[in-house]
Amino acid sequence: MFTKKQRRINWILVAVLLVLSIFFLFPVIWMLANSFKPDAAITADMNSIAAFIPPAPSGSFFDNYVSIITNTSFLRYMGNTLLYAAILIVLSIIVNGLAGYALAKIQFPFRDQWLMLIIMLLIVPTETVITIHFLIIAKAGLLNTIVGYILPLIVNPFNIYLFRQVFVSLPDDVYEAAQLDYCGPVKYFFTMVLPMSKTVVATVSVFTFLNVWNDYLWPSLVFTSSDLLTAQIGLNSITSNENTTMGQTLAVITLVTIPVIIIYSLFSKQIVEGVTSTGSKEG
Amino acid sequence: MSFIEFKNVCKMYPGSKVNTVDNFNLNIDEKEFIAFVGPSGCGKSTTLRMIAGFEEITGGELYIDGKKVNDVAPRDRGIAMVFQNYALYPHMTVEKNIGYGLKNMKMPAAEIKKKVDWAIHILGLEEYRYRKPKNLSGGQRQRVALGRAIVKNQKLFLMDEPLSNLDAKLRVSMRTEISKLHRELGATTIYVTHDQVEAMTMADRIVIMKDGVIQQVGKPMELYDHPVNQFVAGFIGSPQMNFYDVTVDGTSVKFADGSILTLPDDVAKKLEGGHSGEMTFGIRGEDIKLVDSTEAGKENVQSAVITDTEVMGNENNLYFEFGGSQSVARVSKYELSQIGDRIYFEFVPAKVHFFDKDTGVNYMEQ
Repeated sequence: MFTKKQRRINWILVAVLLVLSIFFLFPVIWMLANSFKPDAAITADMNSIAAFIPPAPSGSFFDNYVSIITNTSFLRYMGNTLLYAAILIVLSIIVNGLAGYALAKIQFPFRDQWLMLIIMLLIVPTETVITIHFLIIAKAGLLNTIVGYILPLIVNPFNIYLFRQVFVSLPDDVYEAAQLDYCGPVKYFFTMVLPMSKTVVATVSVFTFLNVWNDYLWPSLVFTSSDLLTAQIGLNSITSNENTTMGQTLAVITLVTIPVIIIYSLFSKQIVEGVTSTGSKEG
Repeated sequence: MSFIEFKNVCKMYPGSKVNTVDNFNLNIDEKEFIAFVGPSGCGKSTTLRMIAGFEEITGGELYIDGKKVNDVAPRDRGIAMVFQNYALYPHMTVEKNIGYGLKNMKMPAAEIKKKVDWAIHILGLEEYRYRKPKNLSGGQRQRVALGRAIVKNQKLFLMDEPLSNLDAKLRVSMRTEISKLHRELGATTIYVTHDQVEAMTMADRIVIMKDGVIQQVGKPMELYDHPVNQFVAGFIGSPQMNFYDVTVDGTSVKFADGSILTLPDDVAKKLEGGHSGEMTFGIRGEDIKLVDSTEAGKENVQSAVITDTEVMGNENNLYFEFGGSQSVARVSKYELSQIGDRIYFEFVPAKVHFFDKDTGVNYMEQ
């Protein structure tokens, strides 16, 4: 039971958080409301509260969206990005998961030094190695291919570290019991370790999805064919086209934001748990 | 031929200079229930894990069913194991936990179901069949672990302190269940415990270990009545055997507080052959017999003042200072005395033990 004083503090906290969330939601609400309006209405409402209110539903309510979907390849770009994200999620879990498992549970020379090296890689910004990635991919003749796009993104030190921190606390006797149940090491990893670590698997999946969805630099270097472009590049090419209206620009930004909002809403618990579990005690 | 044979088995961990298990020699017969007991760090769990194949054998040979298994993988040794912390698969239901090994053995689904049904029935887990381990109590989890072991029809069961996480009451009932299962299934069982009561009540034979070395192997009552050294005498039995520093001169035993005990000829004869001088005298609490106060002053009647009592229900433990040591007498429930009462007692002559002061060897068992 809260005391009267605590209740008052709670109410003040709620009020402050409410004001803050409205403050941060302003641009999103503005974008969403204006994405349904023609440019003339956007300009007319610009300096009034009407800028935050969507127009009344009518025949032309979804015009900006229909125009984006029918006149551009944006849906295809979104589909491409979803495909790349799906492939990368699977490969990330397998490759980074196996690396994390080795660092957590298998004894081999210089294991701790390897881990230290991987942790040090966390501080290296992606941009600093992107040129090297580009040169290697170009030399391998993989520019403008899905493989060329995906290959450098599979191994992720942060994901390895996340997996390692969770796997280190898995009890060893479960592995021993599984051995006596005729379960080999590979089967153990896929049928025991991953299901026992659902939270970190969800976290890595979400992070991988968001990385792929929001990435602009790497796909813009690798892809030149419009068939393979991702949503972020599509967004840029559509919004920088001088024939695109302001309403259409807001509609395409809304479209590109929706998956991120959905993912955050569905998996916020896993994201928080996954990140906080990296501080877990060694078992 | 023995079912399991240890030949000079040793275990030395990397970086260590001493063997954790040293020169372990033991033969275990088929269908035998054998318990490894000893204090923490004595090497009992390491020995069990060497049998399972989870620890490398660094010296000697281990044979299971006539086959040398030093380099055989755990899964190929024909063993089932119950772990201290159950080691259940947390994301699987009770039914799937029990049947997982059978599924990996590529057994037909109908046969798996039959075996799992049998295990679930025999262990009384029917209503928990579809529950996951987190929704089970400690006792239920341990039964699932047992179920996982018994369905595979292995000839050898290894149990690593399986009851240590359970409360006292549940431990007693699980003890009975495990003994019953052993009788019904007839599998050779090796049971590791630090609880000598578990070993005494369940095992056909007990192996007592200390510092990686076997101290004594024998049937429970052999160990209880005829311990070969002071460590075994002190480890087996609750309350612990009473030990006193004494000086022996012929038939006379002099305690540190000056009390004198005169040994009968047959007992003194056993001590002959140079066994005299300073040694440790041992007697179990139940071999201290209370006598009436009218016997005071007679030969071999000792007296002491009670400093504490433990009422156990069926019997009582009386604590007192005697011979320079804290002592305990285990008496019937009708012999309860109060703190501060003076008691008179005798040692049962046939039950006394004399241990070498340095080596701990029991002179009475040589």
